Amino acid sequence: MKYHELEMRAVYGETLNELIAANPNVMCLEADLSKASGTNPKVAAAYPANFVNVGVSEANMIGIAAGLAAEGKIPFCATFTCFAGRRVYDQVTISVAYANLNVKIVGTAPGITAGPNGGTHMCFQDLAIMRAMPNLHVYSPCDAYELRAVMRHMAACRQPTYMQLIRQRVGAIFDETCRFDPGRAVVLRPGAAVTLVSTGYMTHFALPVARDLAAAGIDVELLHYPSVKPFDVASLVRSAQKTGRVVSVENQSVIGGLGGAVCEVLAEHCPVPVRRLGVPDQFGEVASEPYLMEKHGFGPRHIAEACRRAVAGA
Amino acid sequence: MQDFDQARFDRLAAEYRYVITDMICRAGSGHLGGALSLVEIVITLYERVLRVDPQRPAWPERDRLVLSKGHGAPVLYLALAYHGFFPKAWLKTLNADGTRLPSHADARVVPGIDMTTGSLGQGLSAACGMALAARLNGQSHRVFCIIGDGESNEGQIWEAALFASHHRLDNLIAICDCNRLQIDGFTDDVLSLEPLADKWRAFGWETLEMNGHDWDDIHTTLQRAVALAGKPRMVIAHTVKGKGNRAIENKPESHNIKVPDQATYDRFMQALAVRDVTLPY
Repeated sequence: MKYHELEMRAVYGETLNELIAANPNVMCLEADLSKASGTNPKVAAAYPANFVNVGVSEANMIGIAAGLAAEGKIPFCATFTCFAGRRVYDQVTISVAYANLNVKIVGTAPGITAGPNGGTHMCFQDLAIMRAMPNLHVYSPCDAYELRAVMRHMAACRQPTYMQLIRQRVGAIFDETCRFDPGRAVVLRPGAAVTLVSTGYMTHFALPVARDLAAAGIDVELLHYPSVKPFDVASLVRSAQKTGRVVSVENQSVIGGLGGAVCEVLAEHCPVPVRRLGVPDQFGEVASEPYLMEKHGFGPRHIAEACRRAVAGA
Repeated sequence: MQDFDQARFDRLAAEYRYVITDMICRAGSGHLGGALSLVEIVITLYERVLRVDPQRPAWPERDRLVLSKGHGAPVLYLALAYHGFFPKAWLKTLNADGTRLPSHADARVVPGIDMTTGSLGQGLSAACGMALAARLNGQSHRVFCIIGDGESNEGQIWEAALFASHHRLDNLIAICDCNRLQIDGFTDDVLSLEPLADKWRAFGWETLEMNGHDWDDIHTTLQRAVALAGKPRMVIAHTVKGKGNRAIENKPESHNIKVPDQATYDRFMQALAVRDVTLPY
């Protein structure tokens, strides 16, 4: 199947069905956004007993998931990132991470991909706040094939996890052979002049930039991090030791997310100049993705410019 | 299940109150009032209602108990220690550095605790998840959940109430420790809950009420609650916060006592109705 031709949410629903078929303990929890998550009717119709819609009560969804997980179920709970990340932070903290229960929290429409819903629904800090929580893994797969690999890993491992889910169709970076290891970054393009680090949605923009720059003689090494926590320290340090300069880009605030992780690692292990691209310390607004990337300076031309300046030492 | 012997149960309740007060005083501070209000209820649960096995704390068919008002944990620790889930010697380590008995109920480290709680409002949702899992698994055990009346200020309690009712979780029996006090004062003054029973009925729960310190009433009401079918059950237990310790009984300051010195320790211990108790540690 050409999963990259589907919307990512359709892939989420399809993959959940496969996981449920393989293990009936896998469950799909929703809080009245099941159509937005791609699980209704796909999962709801195929596995009604495994599908639980709790209504508009995200906190309750996380608590129910914790109770299910305590009994050996493997609940995947989806809602918009603004709710999955911000609204239920204490429920995730105590009932999931502190209690160390096997709950999978799925934040849909991350960052600027929440566009039409505007500033209230645009969450730029979920990677940062979830990364700061003990016991929790934090993933942001970039395409349909990596999403499927990540979900298979989530279902197989007894590990409280937060995952960003891009909802729209995004095209292919990987293929069916994609494998996911939370301890490993993926070198999408080897290079020696500058290290470019991306995760999730922004990898779709970083990869063509890296290729274009290479064609123009700037040898970019692109590291894609499907797991922001655990964070593959060794790959970043090895790359930074080689290139001596690092640019990060994310569909998040520059405070505390991927760029934060990059700076923490490099400050301790390999202090080199870093430029973080993403949303500055601001809220979102209702707008198109190109508008927001342009406004906040983390679109393709900004990535290219940051790499050029890094190489030029400017 | 033990046969009921009023003298033995009265003696046990007095012992629980003495030991809980000592544990918390020994720790230097703690949530005494909300543990003492639950003594008769927890004793009845462990002596006469719950199907649990201390030799197999994770026995899949055991009844579950979620203490959603997690700060009441000391009374649960006592019941678990007295029923052999762990050595009674642990009890004197409440809140001590490196303890396995933290202030709030912790399933990660305490044998017999089914859910980690402490942030109010979350345990009833977890109990709903457990009850749903039991149904999906075709298991016949019951899920009990103890919430507080102050805790019922939390919106998540009512989210869970809607969920349990919608899904007709009739293997779920909740008990509300209605001691009419919360940290900042009487519930009627801080945030009115009444008519509480009517609220639960309106949310679709079979709702019963009992005197939470009367052995017969507790047992009869819980038996009735267990026997009902078709809906989740709420048992509103009318209790007295700090029951049995005159220094704090029905006083707002009973929620979290501070015991900075020997004189304060002596004052709390001497305020107990029964004092000829030998500590089990």
